[in-house]
Amino acid sequence: MNRRQFLSATTAAALSPASLALAQGSAQGAGGRTLTVGVRSGPESIDPHWSTLGGHIEALRHVYDSLVAQDENLVLRPGLATSWRAVDDTTWEFKLREGVTFHDGSPFTAEDVKFSLERIPQVTGPMSMTLYTKRAKSAEVVDPLTVRFVTDGPAPTLPNDFTRLMIVPRKIGAAPRNEEFNSGAAAIGTGPFRFTRWEPRGDLVMERFDGWWALKDGATQPWARVIRREIPNDAARIAALKSGQVDMINYVPATDVASLQRDPTMEVVVGDSVYVFNVYFTLAEKLPRLAKVDGREIEANPFRDPRVRQAMDLAIDRRALARVVFEGLAKPMSQLMPDSFFGASPNLPERRPDLARARALMAEAGYPRGFEIDFHSTSNRLPGDSALCEALAQQWSRIGVKANPNAVTGTVFFPASTRGDYSLQMSGWGTLTGEAAYTYGAMIHGPDPSVGLGNFNRSGYSNPEVNKLLLDGSRTLDDAKRREMFARAAEISMNDRPMLPIVMPQTVWAMGRNKLSFTPRVDQETLAQLVTPKGA
Amino acid sequence: MTAFLLGRLAQAALVMLVMSVLVFLGVYAIGNPIDVLIDPAATQAMRAAIIRQYGLDLPLWQQYGHFLGNVLRGDFGNSFVFRIPVLPLILSRLPATLELTVLALLIAAAFGIPLGIWAGYRPEARSSRAIMALSTLGFSVPTFWIGLLLILFFTVELRWLPSGGRGPVGWLGLSIWTREGWTHLLLPALNLSLFKLGLLIRLVRAGTEEVMGSEHVRFARAQGLPERQVVGLHVLKNIGIPIVTIFGLEFGSTLAFAVVTETVFNWPGMGKLVIESITSLDRPVMVAYLILVVLLFVAINLFVELTYGLLDPRVRAR
Repeated sequence: MNRRQFLSATTAAALSPASLALAQGSAQGAGGRTLTVGVRSGPESIDPHWSTLGGHIEALRHVYDSLVAQDENLVLRPGLATSWRAVDDTTWEFKLREGVTFHDGSPFTAEDVKFSLERIPQVTGPMSMTLYTKRAKSAEVVDPLTVRFVTDGPAPTLPNDFTRLMIVPRKIGAAPRNEEFNSGAAAIGTGPFRFTRWEPRGDLVMERFDGWWALKDGATQPWARVIRREIPNDAARIAALKSGQVDMINYVPATDVASLQRDPTMEVVVGDSVYVFNVYFTLAEKLPRLAKVDGREIEANPFRDPRVRQAMDLAIDRRALARVVFEGLAKPMSQLMPDSFFGASPNLPERRPDLARARALMAEAGYPRGFEIDFHSTSNRLPGDSALCEALAQQWSRIGVKANPNAVTGTVFFPASTRGDYSLQMSGWGTLTGEAAYTYGAMIHGPDPSVGLGNFNRSGYSNPEVNKLLLDGSRTLDDAKRREMFARAAEISMNDRPMLPIVMPQTVWAMGRNKLSFTPRVDQETLAQLVTPKGA
Repeated sequence: MTAFLLGRLAQAALVMLVMSVLVFLGVYAIGNPIDVLIDPAATQAMRAAIIRQYGLDLPLWQQYGHFLGNVLRGDFGNSFVFRIPVLPLILSRLPATLELTVLALLIAAAFGIPLGIWAGYRPEARSSRAIMALSTLGFSVPTFWIGLLLILFFTVELRWLPSGGRGPVGWLGLSIWTREGWTHLLLPALNLSLFKLGLLIRLVRAGTEEVMGSEHVRFARAQGLPERQVVGLHVLKNIGIPIVTIFGLEFGSTLAFAVVTETVFNWPGMGKLVIESITSLDRPVMVAYLILVVLLFVAINLFVELTYGLLDPRVRAR
């Protein structure tokens, strides 16, 4: 413990007598190591049920455990539940782990699972966690270590959804909201770290929980204390690492990777992500922003012609984009999620550019001299978004499509996109659950509030055959059949091209050379329990 | 005096009202905050429910009416993002910004006033030209760039000072009680002071040059007063009013909008909070913050005007 950490420990201790006892405890403990991580974003509360935001979930996974866990490639693994099975079409049964205790020493039981599920609709915020629990109509405690969920129809992805269901103890009662969690009074989980203190957009400080259940299964837990320091500015985060203020950082921008690699004291770790940049064509009869031919607005929507969409696809050189815009830290994509995910199609090969064919298709479609169109994207949502927007516009200019690149901040982009103000747009989408229903159901199924599908369908695409596959797939419990249906839906829709997957940006972490080992996760989570000191 | 104060308060209330209307209209013009706050995978039914829950389905004037009614009862509402009351949230950041701003202004004053007087007193000297060149740099080079250079030099290369963040917090929520706190405070304060330093040097120099040529200085010299007294008393007193005015305004604007420095140095102040609230369209935080800023400016202006009286007997007589 160096001087700074000691001082911050004493400040925290001054705030609450409980943390004083903790600080003394860890000072006496064997491994007094502290891990300080510089992160781009942090939680919005200490209540795990408040928000579905990636940074929120990631931070709180240190304090709480979810019912189902995911490995680094998002394959389901036992978490607080050790096994699960569908009893019938609308009932799932989860067997719970034995011998798990909360940070306050009380045992974890099925009552806590039921309480957590029922609590979510009451306390969740605008990033509503009900997204992952809405399929479960009720929970029934069968015995202390068995819980059953009744769903509104067959819900094959319930275990995937429950990778986000974090468990809080029932004894905190119905009252606590964000303030009680932020103060620490209600922040009791089963996770590897106890909550010490946090302030919005500030540091999150946690202490090792020696009673963490995974320790019995051979997991290691080398950090006595973990500090997650929120540093949203990229340059400031890198400076903090280089000056030794933090031990590691996440989300290194592609442009800084080369200089960090040259630095003999630094090390970078590159991992794949679940995010894909997609271009969306608006397929409505009339475009919100009309296309222009030879400077004059035209009434027709050129994107309704599949040949135009294909031509624009063939004009894109994805490898060049990955090389130039992302300094090689991106992968060309031909579907909306990585090939390894559940429901991805094996029959969608990489898309290579073919300008001659693209120009021929444009001429066939009646646009031999191309057309002009406004092209919008986010500018601050994912690293590289605005540069990619400009690079795509340049590539399309080679077949006469003059796309006016317009990268705007997410604050402007998302409301306008939801209103349907854009004719041609690009944004990123992450398949956070690691399976197809989440992504294809939202973006490819025709917009249909009655079944809750097509809720993020920006193109207006609706193909009855695909819709049927997606709807049936979302209700098929048989894994093999369901996988087949989603793969088929992916093939049809990707060849219809209502939207074009472009590239998957990779994620980069940086740390001092030979100091830490870290296994990257595709969901980009930087979890202290997955970081170990080298040589330990 | 009471009438004067009451007038000022009424003025402040009016400006705050206008400000809150502008923020509401501004956010409304951008779009529905829900589209930024909500999970993109949310279903249509969830979206509708959340819009209702936050009252964003009501017409704008009704939303504004609710807000105004609550403010009159002293409730600025809860943050959309954090769901905690906005006033304590903003005020918890005040000490951080306050200590940063005060130190930056002190640095600017401690160097700016003497250097400016010297440059005005000996305008042709080589040292004066160097000072003026420095002042031009001070307010023409972008703050964020200087900030990054400072970090690169003092933190990454020399490793003398931390790159950002704030030291341990003690009494009054300030971090100036420990050496550790000062090491964190120094670089951002220096960065923040450079613009003000440049401004102050120019202002003081221009004033000094003008006053040096005036009759009362000539009389003072003819009287045989030592130069130190001529400059330190008669000149300084006469250039005092513009300095105090600019000082007040700069104090206000720095306190309210130290955004760039706070971002580069990851200083957990109000500027950083508000810029992050803007990017997430957290309307309650934006409105409350800007209302507080108006209040701040009114208070500072009032204070500045009262100071004039101390500096200039003619104002007092009025």
